[in-house]
Amino acid sequence: MRQKGSSKRSNRFRAFRFVLLSAILLTLALILFVSTLGSQKFGILHKLVFEVTGPVQQVFSRAAGYVNVFKEQYVDLIDVRDENKRLWKELQETRAAAYKNREAMATNAKLKKLLEFKESTDLPLVSTRIIGKDPSLWFRTVIVDRGSSDGVFKGMPVVTGDGIVGQIITVSPNYSKVLLAISPSSAIDVLLQKSRVRGILKGTGSLTFKLDYVLKTVDVKEGDYVVTAGYGGLFPSGLPVGIVSKVIKKRRGMFLEIEVTPAVDYLTLEKLLIIQQEKPFNE
Amino acid sequence: MVVFIFMVLGLLLIVLQTTVFMIHPLWVSAPDLYYILVAYLAYRFDLLRSLVIIFPLSWTMDIFSGVVLGMYPAICFGAFFLLKTLSVKVPLRESFYQVPMIGVSYLVVSKVVYIGILLFEPGVLAPWSWPEMLVRVGLMILLAYPLFRLFEFINQRLQRSFVPYRLLRVRPGNRYRQEDN
Repeated sequence: MRQKGSSKRSNRFRAFRFVLLSAILLTLALILFVSTLGSQKFGILHKLVFEVTGPVQQVFSRAAGYVNVFKEQYVDLIDVRDENKRLWKELQETRAAAYKNREAMATNAKLKKLLEFKESTDLPLVSTRIIGKDPSLWFRTVIVDRGSSDGVFKGMPVVTGDGIVGQIITVSPNYSKVLLAISPSSAIDVLLQKSRVRGILKGTGSLTFKLDYVLKTVDVKEGDYVVTAGYGGLFPSGLPVGIVSKVIKKRRGMFLEIEVTPAVDYLTLEKLLIIQQEKPFNE
Repeated sequence: MVVFIFMVLGLLLIVLQTTVFMIHPLWVSAPDLYYILVAYLAYRFDLLRSLVIIFPLSWTMDIFSGVVLGMYPAICFGAFFLLKTLSVKVPLRESFYQVPMIGVSYLVVSKVVYIGILLFEPGVLAPWSWPEMLVRVGLMILLAYPLFRLFEFINQRLQRSFVPYRLLRVRPGNRYRQEDN
């Protein structure tokens, strides 16, 4: 009986607690509601809540910051790897395109020079390309992709826009061998442009010519231009050959020792022009 | 078949040498690949087959290079007989000696041919340059071993032959066996 009475009391107390709590919450809500809608003032309660939640917010905000940093520094690397691959690919493509452009520009410049030469002269010309180079250390010849079927014959001069390159020495129907002017077996009649003095230009096997048979009495200076004389009839007259780079006057002998730097860059030879003369130029 | 394949291989080496390895007309660092083949033939092939391969090889080199016809046959045959003689008379069968010998023979044969041309056609050749020649020799020695391996591989593959001629060959009976009549 006593137990029954005590449980009844406890039930009543619980109900009372519930009602009291609800009443307090309702009252607080009402106060909050009225104060919010009524005076529109940031009241004590607001400030209190603000002060209490502020640090919590701060902590969470910092934690979120750390999470973000972690994500940026580590988790995002997964994407960075893919992006890196893509960017490398793009870079390689761009580099290849840039290389192609540079190549095209260089080719364009060379072809422009050849074209200018072709337009500036009345000589019949046929363009050709070097397809093989003499591997020997003792000779200087190249193989070109034009032959007798293109009207190319032995002895025809070969030039570029810069000057003379050499002459054809052997011909097959579709290919020819060119003896470069720097070859030791090459000899060309030339003139010193300023003094109009004649000499024989010989190859040395290196990137210089030797100008023979110029008398010591002739005034030759470094920088003088050397052009073809056209006497032998093999080369037309006035084609650039090179520039005098060294003049040695020895005590003995009648002639000067003259070194000439070629007008043509033999290291970058690629496309050439063959002058198709049917009979010697001096006839 | 072996002879034909090695002839084609020789031509291929010459084409490589005159195109890919020659960057410009005065390029020094181009190995003389044809010479390595000549040396291989001298060490590994019999006389007849070697000569059949060397002849078109040297002929083609003459076409692609120089202005003196007959220079490359002189170099190739000279080198071949020199190396062949050395490999028979002197104990140079060890591959350890064979590769440096290619370089030495190249220098000797080149110098002899150079002097010969100077005597008969002076003023045709560029001056002899020891540094350039030594670069060539160095390159040749460097490339000799891998190329020898390649030639050896090709040779062995060709020896195995695509058609088993030995099996197809009609063999005579055993002439020493007494036929039972």
